[in-house]
Amino acid sequence: MSKLKLNLGPQHPSTHGVLRLILELEGEKIISCEPDIGYLHRGMEKMAEKLSYIQYLPLVDRIDYLAGFFYSELLCRTVEKALGVELSKRVKAIRVMLLELNRIASHLLWIGAFLMDLGAVSPFFYAFRERELILKYFEKITGQRMMNNYFVFGGVRRDIFSLEDVENIINILPDKVKDYEALITENPIFVRRTKGKGVLDKETAFNFGITGVNLRASGVNLDFRVKDYLYEGIDFNPVVIDGADSWSRYKARVLEIKESINIIKQALKVLESEKELEQKLVNPLNLTLPEGEYIQEIEAPRGLASIYIKSTGEKSPYRLKWRTGSYYSVNLLRKILKGAYLNDAIAISGSLDIILPEVDK
Amino acid sequence: MNWAEFTNIFKDCKLEGDKILIGSELLKTIDFVKTNYHFDMLKEIIASDNGDGTVELTYRLFSPEDEEDLLISINVKDEAESVSSIFESAVADEKEIYDLFGVKFIGNPELKRLYMPEDWKGHPLRKDYKENDERLNWNE
Repeated sequence: MSKLKLNLGPQHPSTHGVLRLILELEGEKIISCEPDIGYLHRGMEKMAEKLSYIQYLPLVDRIDYLAGFFYSELLCRTVEKALGVELSKRVKAIRVMLLELNRIASHLLWIGAFLMDLGAVSPFFYAFRERELILKYFEKITGQRMMNNYFVFGGVRRDIFSLEDVENIINILPDKVKDYEALITENPIFVRRTKGKGVLDKETAFNFGITGVNLRASGVNLDFRVKDYLYEGIDFNPVVIDGADSWSRYKARVLEIKESINIIKQALKVLESEKELEQKLVNPLNLTLPEGEYIQEIEAPRGLASIYIKSTGEKSPYRLKWRTGSYYSVNLLRKILKGAYLNDAIAISGSLDIILPEVDK
Repeated sequence: MNWAEFTNIFKDCKLEGDKILIGSELLKTIDFVKTNYHFDMLKEIIASDNGDGTVELTYRLFSPEDEEDLLISINVKDEAESVSSIFESAVADEKEIYDLFGVKFIGNPELKRLYMPEDWKGHPLRKDYKENDERLNWNE
């Protein structure tokens, strides 16, 4: 049979950004896949070498605009750890609460967009309806819906308020998640398009550096929140399920929303008992880090995110590097799409939750 | 990790802070720690220009079993051994480092420009990379 080279993207509606896949087809079977990235490259790492830390802080939300809080947290954490700044209980609880709300918003968008990739339009509207509640709350307290720039070195920009909104969100969400599950989880069309498709076994996942929900849906109990200092004293169980296919990755994200609600409840309890905002903000003018290398990690919605800063004691970092989860998921497409059918290509790549600004940096 | 056993086999290495700086035999070292100490995941490869024509590559290995990190670093000039035969994730990391630092990884099957255009000259994260030169008008 003759081979056909097919370009999927870069402006494909279901690639969440601009990802180009060069597929080689034999009939409908994919025999090789080559991801081509870089359409959204903004030079985040190069920019860091020219800017001071406080100038760079508003930019980092844009690395992954769906989970901006996580990248702010990473940069702030690096500066705080390097300078030995301790966070009070209230600040920690505020950060945990916002991070988990952000995670829920990110997963909700994924559910909507993934089902849209598969041709189901209505879940998109339901998921966005609930996501809107979270974004409205973000706008209320930070002034921004998405790129919030709310965490600062040593704490948060201003104290949090309207906690009844958060209570409202976590009261509504479990019922809504039940609705999604009734609509999607056992839907025969959805099940036939995802069950047994895009199987990612444990060894391959390790080999390709896959972390986060994608790894936990392959039966590996690895959640970097467990050892995270922000989550100290918070009781939660990482979502681990077997199955390793697209369906399991969907299920794991739904379960993770429930787990995040559980974490937010505990953070709210801390916020109720610790009413006073105590924080020692770092003076951002003339801020320098002591000479050395710093690495910090966090469990972002799309896998392990980490930052590396090499400082020579100057105003700006000597070298700054980001590690993002999606970058490795894109690399995985080379392997996971091989042997799949063309009509499954979107379903499989969608299930990995790839966000392109995070890939291109 | 058993440090005595490690230094017995790899003499050309020393501890520098919390990372192991090796002089040569990169591929062999990474293979050794993977098979003997279960460092099954390569979290990332960090490249950093030393400013003297060499680039420091730091391999951040991770053991999912013990949830432990291991940093192995090496100073290279323009060429390095590719570890893509051991870790598939290195294919992506090495492509990025080739594009931004110009380090050629021998054995990487997909070494080519990633973020920058194919005809771009120079490697932007090198410290000797010149900005504002006439090449930036490549689009006209």
